[in-house]
Amino acid sequence: MAWEYSDKTRALFMDAVQGKPGTHMGEIDDPDGIGEHGSIACGDALRFTFRVERHPTDPLKDVIIEARYLTYGCTSAIAASEALCAMIEAGHYTPIDALKIKNEDIVTYLDGLPVQKIHCSVMGAEALQAAIFNWAQKRGVDLEQLGVDILPEEKEEGRVVCKCFGLTEPYIRRKIKELGLHSIAQITNAIKAGGACTNCHHTPGGLQDLLDETWGRSETRLKESPEPPLPPGGVPDAEPSPYVVAKRIEQVIDEDVRPMLQHDGGDIEIVDIKDNIVYCRMAGACATCAAADKTMKLVVETALKDKVDERLRVIAVT
Amino acid sequence: MDLIYADNNATTAVAPEVREVMAPYLADDYFNPSSMYEPARRTGHAVEAARATIAGLLGMGEASELIFTGGATESNNAALFGAARANPGRRHVITTAVEHPAVLEVAEEMERQGFAVDFLPVDRRGRLDVKDLIRALRPDTLLVSIMHANNETGVVFPVAELARVVKETDPAILFHTDATQSVGKLPLDLSGEHVHVDLLSFSGHKLHAPKGVGGLFVRQGARWRPFLVGGHQEASRRAGTENVPYIAGLAVAVELALRDREAEAAHLASLRDRLEALLVERIPHVEVNGREAPRLPNTLNVAIHFIEGEGMLYQLDAFGICASSGSACTSGSLEPSHVLRAMQVPFTAVHGSVRFSFSRYNTMAEIERIAEVFPEIVARLRRLSPYWDSERNAPRPEALAMLESAASPAEGGGPSARGNSA
Repeated sequence: MAWEYSDKTRALFMDAVQGKPGTHMGEIDDPDGIGEHGSIACGDALRFTFRVERHPTDPLKDVIIEARYLTYGCTSAIAASEALCAMIEAGHYTPIDALKIKNEDIVTYLDGLPVQKIHCSVMGAEALQAAIFNWAQKRGVDLEQLGVDILPEEKEEGRVVCKCFGLTEPYIRRKIKELGLHSIAQITNAIKAGGACTNCHHTPGGLQDLLDETWGRSETRLKESPEPPLPPGGVPDAEPSPYVVAKRIEQVIDEDVRPMLQHDGGDIEIVDIKDNIVYCRMAGACATCAAADKTMKLVVETALKDKVDERLRVIAVT
Repeated sequence: MDLIYADNNATTAVAPEVREVMAPYLADDYFNPSSMYEPARRTGHAVEAARATIAGLLGMGEASELIFTGGATESNNAALFGAARANPGRRHVITTAVEHPAVLEVAEEMERQGFAVDFLPVDRRGRLDVKDLIRALRPDTLLVSIMHANNETGVVFPVAELARVVKETDPAILFHTDATQSVGKLPLDLSGEHVHVDLLSFSGHKLHAPKGVGGLFVRQGARWRPFLVGGHQEASRRAGTENVPYIAGLAVAVELALRDREAEAAHLASLRDRLEALLVERIPHVEVNGREAPRLPNTLNVAIHFIEGEGMLYQLDAFGICASSGSACTSGSLEPSHVLRAMQVPFTAVHGSVRFSFSRYNTMAEIERIAEVFPEIVARLRRLSPYWDSERNAPRPEALAMLESAASPAEGGGPSARGNSA
């Protein structure tokens, strides 16, 4: 353990647990806005409620005057909830203005969070947003008309990519863009996706694919390293012998690729290796899987290109 | 504020007797035991005397069956990889889902290297089913590695019996046990009850010796190859200049632990049982993990429903109480303890585990203090929890429903034998 928390984080947590005056633990009865994020199974959950001073004629001029939270989670999850409520109350925001509070603001308020704990601040921002949507519904405010990006129930709808934390493709895609996430580690730190079993990291349609599709990385990589034409007259002297290359390919398949496929009940067989083309046959569950061809390209070819030779290509054999 | 150290399964205080024995080797007796001159004989003798002491106390037939290592992690690596090197024809390993990472991750590494590995599940009480072990045995099984006592829950596996079953099935299979948590706490007799154990790992710093020293028992005749090479030390089975002061300290530590083992075990059990009774009495909705299985006398693992472990540790720390947790937030991963998950601890409690582990230096007054402070910490954190109704000091209705669904056996997330079973 021994996370490196800032003094601010520690102090907010301690004050909250001791229920000191000025802290925000609790739940507002009949709130003007309520938002929840997370679940107990995932290890943290937050229920955020707020009350506004209602403007007699224009709901857009409502001002948030009180904010409360109930949080299941670790030191930083509780401190982030405390920070969120404190910021909201201090700012005398209208709900629409409060939408501008992002997770980075919570991190700043806490004088920083360990990277593995960034998701605690994201949880706060998500719950706030949900609560404001709830307020809009109650007050008959049309957020779309105001140009607020209403998210189409994305967490409930769509293919689940990270099964451990139940996070869907549209949600992860939005977060990749919104938070500028460029690596799997960054995704995990921010929204926890991929942080447990790690199965969704490199599977087809997994986190790496979503990253590549967002930032176009794989395309760039291919453009940067076009297949160099073989020199006329065959391979130069310095090339490793076909025997060495074949052994290396076998090793990469055995060590990097096969265990991953076997994990999903599949397997892979090298049929032949000839002129930089590796002929492979998928077996087991992978053979009947619709994504088999894609898996082949993505997983096998990437591994072989990275670890053996950039020029290698993979062709599926059935 | 006096420190209450209740994390002795993580590490222990170095005993003053151990420090005393080590001191000369950190001062004037610094010689390399392999050197030829007279002063070096003293250091060489110290190592051999330590070996004889520990071998005798653990019932080894020969002192040479004990190899000194840098700790239990090295011993476990050496046991598993060394067994694989010596038996190239065998490609299958059996271990359990609840091993310490020093075995679990070695087994996973072997899996990546092409070995077939079976991870045996445990039941809700933390126990293994010997039928699962028998079913997993194969003609090409190389090694069975089953821990003696679990570091998180203290649950003790019947390794003497399991080793016998394995060796009677096929004497060529090696049986390894990680006894890091049990040496000094449980009876061990490698010539008697544990005669079927081929390889046994242990560590110094769990029994009041310093960190960085441990041992590996390799039964004479067991097919095993060295893991660390590069020198003739330890009869060429573990290269590297002997860590003389630590080895001398280790022997005294084992001696101290075993000299008063029964009295000490009774003391530890009285502390643990008292704390367990008080916490169960004072905290609603608490699970005592491993309660219904044989357990180490010093370990208490509780899981508190509807709050998370890391926050509890921070609060305990503020009261000067050192404990640990299996919650996701205290691990490197985002997953809670693999041991508690394998035991199917309900999801409403699996993030809320706290482990108290005691040593001979703990007192009943400390237990009373923990029992006074901890329930209050739990109550305060529960006031912050969206699942808890503080007014009634009970779960909210929707949380109660969760509790009921969590109590029935989980689907999916439960333990299962992994790997490439035939």
